[in-house]
Parts: sequence; structure tokens; C-alpha cells
Amino acid sequence: MSRSLRTGLRAAAATLLVSAFGAILWHGFSYGDAGAARIDRWIDTARDLGTRNVVSAIYLGTRFFDSVLELLVFAVAVLGVRHFLGQAKLHESVRPAAPVAESHVVSAAARLMLPIIVLLGVYLAVHGHLSPGGGFSGGVVAASGLLLAAIAIGSAPVTERLGRTGLERVEWGAMLLILGLVFAPVALALPPFSPLLPGGTLGRLASGTNVLPYNLLIASKVFVGSWTIVQHFLQHRGGI
Amino acid sequence: MQGPIGIAAAVALFAIGTLGLVLRRDLVIKLLALGLVNTSAILCLLSLDAAPGRTPPFLSPAFTQHMVDPLPQALVLSAIVINFAILALALVFVMRIVEQYHTLDSQRVEHEVEGEDA
Repeated sequence: MSRSLRTGLRAAAATLLVSAFGAILWHGFSYGDAGAARIDRWIDTARDLGTRNVVSAIYLGTRFFDSVLELLVFAVAVLGVRHFLGQAKLHESVRPAAPVAESHVVSAAARLMLPIIVLLGVYLAVHGHLSPGGGFSGGVVAASGLLLAAIAIGSAPVTERLGRTGLERVEWGAMLLILGLVFAPVALALPPFSPLLPGGTLGRLASGTNVLPYNLLIASKVFVGSWTIVQHFLQHRGGI
Repeated sequence: MQGPIGIAAAVALFAIGTLGLVLRRDLVIKLLALGLVNTSAILCLLSLDAAPGRTPPFLSPAFTQHMVDPLPQALVLSAIVINFAILALALVFVMRIVEQYHTLDSQRVEHEVEGEDA
């Protein structure tokens, strides 16, 4: 088969796929009354769980099995990056990038901003059931603070201060604790994923059954996982 | 971006991403195109129930009327992090391929693999 024919066939297949995507959206665009009824059901779910944030009530409540599996996918991806980049060696012709000394203003600003960014990540995770945020976004925000520090003062000093073994323990400890909380109700003759903590008063920090601990554990997992990915790329490149 | 405009933008991004994924031979460009497809799916999910006058999905007296559907937002929340991790892993695989075959051209890699098998 000639190259132009193969390219034409690929383009036709891609166009067909895009047309199918557009057609599905065109027909399924409007929810109508069924959508309104479903939204009311989600609101009831949030009230039952004691969370103000309805999105949290879904991904840490009724669809938490889905979130757990996504966390497992994330864990496997992080493990893959760590394994393959840990093995990889730079080709002889590729020289690692020499660390560039940032100006004192940038490094001082980064040192000042780092605790504020990490604190914002923790706030997003802790208040995830009351306001916009949650474990996933909180973890990524905190990891972006470390990336800023790595840009300003270098990845090696940041890695040294954090301690790699401790981070790995936090990452896998968080994952094990999530799985433990998921399956702990079995010991009490309850189905897995059942909430163990009381619902509390809607709008208070101590509310939302298991949502608060789940958010904190997910934030820890995502924080360490995201930093691990970034740190391995930086290490492989030799600096930033 | 709201409603139909968001959907139209998502379809356009999906088209650009899919064509890039299928037609471009550079593996890094393919990954960028895959990222574009991911982004189009996220934009599409968020635009599905977005319309003027819809309120954020929070239990608050100010927001109980005409709340936006929270389900697509719940799906998107974890999808963003997963996309990041999967793209990072795919980039690592591309780096391994480049180390082994010294090229980013997907067709040349295919020929090299066929040559190894033969």
C-alpha cells in the first residue's frame, strides 16, 4: 500500500471519528426534564452526606469506587515513570542541562511563596467538602509550589530537603489508608465504601462523613505523585 | 465558555487532535495531539450543561435555583490529574523509544521493529 493511500485512509478514519463525536453531541446535547430530576437527586445525595460541595458528594460518595480506580491508575503511572526514568541513562551525546543560577529576587520570592502555595493546597483539600476544591486540586496546587521552588533553587536541594524515602512512604501510606477506609466497614458487617464517620452539621468543617479524610489522603497521594513525576523528569534532564 | 460554543470548540479541538494523532509522524507531536483530545473531552463535559443563569453546584441559598449538573464536573476533576500522569508515562515511553531507535518518526520506528521481527 502506497504512503499517500495509507495517509488518505488514516485521514478518512479520523474524519469519521470526529463526525461521530459531533453527531453524538448534537443528539445528546439537551438534558431536558430528566436532567433536572437527576440534579435534584445529586442535591439529596450531598445533603445526606453533609457536604456543601455537590461535586465532592459525587466523587467521594456515590461514585467513590470510580475515584479509587482512578487513583490506582495514577499510582501505576507514577510507578511507571519512576521505574523507567530511574533505569534510563542519557545518551553520551546528550549533555545534562547545567543548573542556571536564578537571581536572588526570584529565589527569595520562591522561598516566600512556597509555604503560601502549599498552605493553599492544604486549604483546598481540607475545605473541599464546603467550597470549590478537593483532594485532587489541592494536591496539584501543593506540587506546583514545589515545582516553583525547583525552578528557583534547583531540584536537587528541594529533593534533599524533602527526603525521597519519606515521600514514598507518604504516597503509599495514603493509598493504603484510602483502601483501608474503603474496606474497613466490612469488619462491621457493612458493605465496602460505607461511611464510617458521622455526617455532622452541614456547613461545618467537621462534616461530610468520610469526605474530609478522603480529601486529605487523596491530596497527599496526588501531591507526592505529581512531584515524583516532575522530579524524575528534572533529574533525568540534569536540572532545570 | 458556555453551552453550544463550548461544544463547538470541543469538537474543533477534538478534530485537530485526532488529525494530529493520525497524520503526524513525530511521536512528541502525537502526544501533544493526544493532550488536545483529552482537553477537548474535558471542555465538552464541562460545556454539556453550562448555560447562562446556571449556578455553581453548591448547597447554598444563593445557588439552589438552576444548578449546573455536578456529574460532569466530578468526572473532569479526576480526569485532569489522570491525563497528566498518563501523558507523563507516555512521554517516558517515547524517551525509551528514542534511546533505542534514535528517531522520533513513528514510521521509521515501525520499519525498525518490522526489521527486528523479520
